[in-house]
Amino acid sequence: MRKFVYLLVKPYRKRYLIGIMALLFVNFTQSYIPGLIRNTVNGISEGLLDSGGILKEVSWILGLALFMAIGRWAWRIYVMGTSRIIECDLREKLYLHFETLSQNFYNNQKTGDLMAHATNDVGAVRQALGNGVLLTFDAISLIAMSFILMLKTNPSLTIYSLLPLPIMVFVSVFLSRIIGARFRVVQEEFANLTGKVQENISGIRVVKAFGQEKAEIENFRTANKKNFQAQIAMVRIANLMRPLSMLVGAATFIVVIWYGGSLVIEGTLLFGDLMAFTMYLGNMTWPLLNLGWLFNLLNRSKASMLRLWELFSAEVEVKDGCLTNSVLDKISGDIEFRNLSFNYPNSDLVLEDINWKIKKGSKVAIVGKTGSGKTTIAELLLRVYNPNPRELLIDGRDILEYPLKTLRDNISEVPQENFLFSATIAENIAFGKTDAAISEIETASKKADVYDNIMDFPEKFQTRVGERGVTLSGGQKQRVAIARALIKNSPVLILDDSLSAVDTATEDLILNNLRASSEEKTVIIIAHRISTIEDCDDIIVLDEGRIIERGKHQELVALGGFYAELYRMQLLEEQIKQYA
Amino acid sequence: MTEADEIMGKAYDSKLMRRLLTYATLHLNKLLLSILLLIIITLGDLAGPYLMKIIIDDHLDASNHAFYARPLNEVPEYKGAGIQNLAFVRFTTEGKGPYYLLTQNGAWYLSPIKVNGLYKINDDQLFYEGNTYKLISVPKSELKAMRGSDYSQVIKLSSFYLALMLSLGLLSYLQTYLLTYTGQSIIFTIRQQIFEHLQYLDLTFFDQNYVGRIVTRATNDVENLSEMYTDILVNTFRDILTLAGIIIIMLKLDWKLSLVAFSVVPLILLATIVFRKQVRAAYRLVRRHLSELNGFLNESISGMKIIQIFNQEKKKHQEFNRINRDYQKASLKEINIYAIFRPFMDLLYYLAITLIIYFGGKGVLDARIQFGLLFAFINYVQRFFGPINALTEKFNIMQSAMASSERIFQLLDTKPTITQPLDPIVPAKSQGKIEFKHVYFAYKNEDYVLKDISFTVNPGETVAFVGHTGAGKTTIINLVNRFYDIQKGQILVDGVDVRDWDLYKLRQRIGVVLQDVFVFSGDIKTNIRLYNDKISQAQVHAACKAVRADDFITKLPRAYDEKVTERGATLSQGQRQLLALARALAFDPDILVLDEATANIDTETEALIQEALQKVAKDRTTLVIAHRLSTIQHADKIIVMHRGEIKEVGKHQELLDQGGLYFRLYQLQYQSHQKLA
Repeated sequence: MRKFVYLLVKPYRKRYLIGIMALLFVNFTQSYIPGLIRNTVNGISEGLLDSGGILKEVSWILGLALFMAIGRWAWRIYVMGTSRIIECDLREKLYLHFETLSQNFYNNQKTGDLMAHATNDVGAVRQALGNGVLLTFDAISLIAMSFILMLKTNPSLTIYSLLPLPIMVFVSVFLSRIIGARFRVVQEEFANLTGKVQENISGIRVVKAFGQEKAEIENFRTANKKNFQAQIAMVRIANLMRPLSMLVGAATFIVVIWYGGSLVIEGTLLFGDLMAFTMYLGNMTWPLLNLGWLFNLLNRSKASMLRLWELFSAEVEVKDGCLTNSVLDKISGDIEFRNLSFNYPNSDLVLEDINWKIKKGSKVAIVGKTGSGKTTIAELLLRVYNPNPRELLIDGRDILEYPLKTLRDNISEVPQENFLFSATIAENIAFGKTDAAISEIETASKKADVYDNIMDFPEKFQTRVGERGVTLSGGQKQRVAIARALIKNSPVLILDDSLSAVDTATEDLILNNLRASSEEKTVIIIAHRISTIEDCDDIIVLDEGRIIERGKHQELVALGGFYAELYRMQLLEEQIKQYA
Repeated sequence: MTEADEIMGKAYDSKLMRRLLTYATLHLNKLLLSILLLIIITLGDLAGPYLMKIIIDDHLDASNHAFYARPLNEVPEYKGAGIQNLAFVRFTTEGKGPYYLLTQNGAWYLSPIKVNGLYKINDDQLFYEGNTYKLISVPKSELKAMRGSDYSQVIKLSSFYLALMLSLGLLSYLQTYLLTYTGQSIIFTIRQQIFEHLQYLDLTFFDQNYVGRIVTRATNDVENLSEMYTDILVNTFRDILTLAGIIIIMLKLDWKLSLVAFSVVPLILLATIVFRKQVRAAYRLVRRHLSELNGFLNESISGMKIIQIFNQEKKKHQEFNRINRDYQKASLKEINIYAIFRPFMDLLYYLAITLIIYFGGKGVLDARIQFGLLFAFINYVQRFFGPINALTEKFNIMQSAMASSERIFQLLDTKPTITQPLDPIVPAKSQGKIEFKHVYFAYKNEDYVLKDISFTVNPGETVAFVGHTGAGKTTIINLVNRFYDIQKGQILVDGVDVRDWDLYKLRQRIGVVLQDVFVFSGDIKTNIRLYNDKISQAQVHAACKAVRADDFITKLPRAYDEKVTERGATLSQGQRQLLALARALAFDPDILVLDEATANIDTETEALIQEALQKVAKDRTTLVIAHRLSTIQHADKIIVMHRGEIKEVGKHQELLDQGGLYFRLYQLQYQSHQKLA
């Protein structure tokens, strides 16, 4: 992990160096200024300065202040700014990693959690690399410089005045730890509160139906109260910080005045020295007080970094490996399942003993109940998951030999879930073929029978889809997704329940278009509606991962099994629908 | 994050502010006390440098002290050894004098004249303004004796200072505690109010708004306000008070020097105005790009499969990079603005200090002022910049708090239309009669999902509704317990229009078992009685026994105390149905409404449910929405619906004989049940 952080920072070593140098310069100068003030004050009281002399001293102060301003500008740009750049680098790395992770990974993760990693955790690392680095160097250098200068001014006064400081540091670190713990309680209570609201809103029908509004309100009041109490418990300690540090600061100051004052009265210390001394002390107190806060920050960032590191260590399952033969860049469309069995990690077999040959250019179909393994077959063909070696062959070669790019360029799918990106319709259709001409996009949309719908939108193909644009109906989305697959013009096309949201007439139209344009292509259709697949060359019926029936439509109907029953029922359903 | 756009609103809106302040008035006493304390603390705080000025000018800086020389034996209280048998004492005019203390190059002298500005000392001779004076050399050991009273004064005054700080620390803790307590109380109240308001909103509202969005109102938006109350309101007051206090004290101490120091104020104002404008634009830009970034990430994670199977990783990466680097640019710009503004303010601070030291130093040379004043001024100027920096920081918090409060008030201003009638009627005798008279209903506009529905259910009858999906069966349930109000017609329960009923009594009399059983996270017991304390443990058990839910519950490791989660993942669909039946039974309704689960339930549980149902339905008016026709053959009446209209009414056999819609539906289901299950 250390190495990982180092690699992140490495390209910006120079920037950090400049930033830290600037910081050191600023701190050095800042520590130098009290000396100038001392000289002025002492000079005046010792009769060594006239107004010209004062002007000379104070112009030094102003001159140095100008350089300090430049230095402060520089460390903000070079440390804070760089931490922002690294934040973006890190997020990009994470994004690239996300792109390589397989579906098995995503199946076990909540989008919200992954988002939290990409935002909160990355943000916490930035904090460490920005504020964390700054405060650390700031604290070390300011404390050291002030200490040396205080010693130079008066050693015994230094010792006395620093007596309260260890207490202050201890208290600050101690309190920060308690605050950290109580803050976690606050977070838990807040999460609990959020959960309660979430649940109440999701179950509002039950609440209303049973007239439980009052009881729910009382129940929420408890959670609300707990959250309130956790907050109060935290601020009870957190609010101690300021008065306490004020007090310790005052105590230190008093020591300086008592002891330093006596030195001044005795004539062993000049007043200007005392004044400078209080300024050194002031320079030192602030970073010391922040130590507790700094520790908390670094701890939080470390935890975030660990979480990210874990995420980066997640295994990339589906990738080009040792079996990959990079010469393979074409697929003609012969597919064979040879005793294929498959299961997801930690689960039973989803597919068992599948033996099925699909000839190039044929149109085949898979039917079966929900959960019978239809989609898994499609996903194995696209290597969304890895099949076992030698069980799935394309053009006679193991699918694992094909580079992922070849495979996915040559097989296009209309997936079950109609996921469209928030982009224009044209961009969505051309998603898999970025360089598609407008005419190609139009042709594809015509084939998918969505052209007219698109032309009805005010901005036609430039209409944006999604939250900030129009809301497409389920059927429209599905047809855009079909167009998106068709435009790739690949030798293998898979439709995974892709016509469920369109009416039968539209379905017929799309299927006819498909047939006309894909004579050479292998088409695999997964469907619930028999009407979709009646004309297929070969149909398999899946049940609990096994092929239970196989044949052409007429053969299967004649068989009188699952398929025949499904067909009869759908006919009946059609009749009921048309009943009025 | 979808709400980032809304952040672009005003940073200050007097209408919203007034409304926010009304909550504060609920805690007026505490707030006033807090403000009073704040005034004391601020004043006490500002007294510090003034006290230091006194210590320095009157006691540490000896240049103004006049000493008179008296023979040592005449002043027995004098503790020192004396110089040339003379004691130099203060606070007297007896003896020879006055003499003034002088120092140069570490040596101390008594001078017969008071000097200002340049002087030179050589061999106990003072050279000043062209004249030469004879000085008396003072050994350091003698200084302590000469200035003994100063020392005890310093101790006294600084002890007072310590005591002041101690009490201020205490008060300040009290004040912040009081304030945060008040702030959190307000937050508690607002949150409670939102939640309570939500409970009584129409279902239409919940149909139209995402759960996540509603949850945000009661959680994060309220949280945003908390800073507004605890940080902004009072700290702004403190900052302004401090600024005013500093200005007044400085003017009182030395108005000329004050004006010199204040000469930087126009620059501060100018810088702040420019900064405010810049940083506001930058902040918006950052927020916009961040929300775009989050949106993109969210979409990419959800659509990763599509990206991968379409081989578009590179393209999406490029898109991501553009957005990510746009965000980087925006946030760097923000940093840039701060990187210029902050050091510039520092520079102004040093400019002010420089001016004070220069003009103040000259004042000391002219003996117009003393060092203590200089010290105090430097201190006050230092404190002057704190509040100014703080005020500029608060801008962004204000902006998001205002946006949140706007959303909160918008929610609170959404009024429910289905409310308790002014004169709620509760029929004395509950029978369970339901009448629909020419009911028309649309969820939206004129899209009627129910058209001219009329039927009567007599007390104790069981009536089943059947029909295709979207026929309007579920809608009927939603109307009986007045989840929605109808547009035309009338619905009567026990002869009283549901709109005239006591809303909560009505709903209590109707027990509903919904299709998708909602399981609350908690234990089994709470899921049955919800948070209704009136239902005893025994009643819960009895209800569960009656519907045979008891069987599976007692098999759970912790029985009725077994924890279940919101999605109810640990319970099967059938078990959840049983749970819901027990829930309905525990509330002992007169009318039972049951929306059968569509999902697959194994035959054994199915039989259990049927048995339970019959028990529950006994002596109760029961409405069943049947998805499995096999279960309703014994219903007193079956109502067949199609596209929002009643098509057929009758008993099972009658309808089968008619050979209409019911017949077809029955055929379809019967066969599917036989062969596909």
